[in-house]
Amino acid sequence: MLASEVYELRANLRRQGVVFAYSGYVTEGILSGVGDALKQKLVSEDADTKTLRSVFAVFVEQMQNIIRYSVERLPTDGETEVLDISYGIVTIGNEAGGYVVHAGNLILLSDVDNMRRRLSELRAMNREELRAAYKDQLRSETDAVGNSAGIGLIEIARRASKPIEFDFMRIDDQHAFFALKATV
Amino acid sequence: MQNIDIPATNRTPAVAFDFDVGHLKLIGESYPEDVTTFYNPLFDALKSWLSDGSISKCRFEFELIYFNSSSAKAIMMIMELLDSAAEAGKSVDVFWFHDPEDETMEELGEEFGEDLKHAKFTLEKLLDR
Repeated sequence: MLASEVYELRANLRRQGVVFAYSGYVTEGILSGVGDALKQKLVSEDADTKTLRSVFAVFVEQMQNIIRYSVERLPTDGETEVLDISYGIVTIGNEAGGYVVHAGNLILLSDVDNMRRRLSELRAMNREELRAAYKDQLRSETDAVGNSAGIGLIEIARRASKPIEFDFMRIDDQHAFFALKATV
Repeated sequence: MQNIDIPATNRTPAVAFDFDVGHLKLIGESYPEDVTTFYNPLFDALKSWLSDGSISKCRFEFELIYFNSSSAKAIMMIMELLDSAAEAGKSVDVFWFHDPEDETMEELGEEFGEDLKHAKFTLEKLLDR
């Protein structure tokens, strides 16, 4: 029974082409560990350099978006330097010969409209426009090095081989689930 | 000024700032856990070295395989420091080496290079690696 339950979970993921799946609390340390395994896996599949780097780049930005912006997070005490620990899901898999990175996390319901607008803009941009947007965003934020959702999403859109896909689902009065799909 | 020599890790580039000869390099991958902690000491050192009036030239080499979007901001800030030093009359040479198979890194190099108004910029393919 136990084995079949766990096997079924794994088989479900496999059927959807998922090679890596992480669901739970994410930290920078988990990003490092899963990232290293992902790199090895891509190398073993003989992915070309550009694909390898792009899949990895999208993975890093997706993970860091969760770490920084998921609203489902463990409390930090604010005094000592506690690293962020936030809940989210990331999967990496194959679909029609390409690699696909999915990510999802909870956000505030009140942020949905803004994010939808921003992501729709990114989806509509061609390569040149994405390049310009990346630079604009960098310039507008040079006063502070550190967290930024804007530039991360642009990086994902730039590295993707087709327009990014996104969706939102209302969870309760305050929260929505945000899902993002990037194909490399 | 004390030279800086930091070996690369999985997530941070090797830093070789040889202030004695004016040769500065960042080599490897950059997606630090905390961008500020990694880059701030480097900015501070670079800034104070460049503000020394007796320094007349600087060669800065970026040899990055990959960097994340937070590191991009740090790179832009380094470029800005270098460009203002060139504007102030120093001879500044910036090199951007990229993997020939990775056009994104080449594009990013072009983009950062476009912003240099005073420093000399060279985009070059990284060979035999």
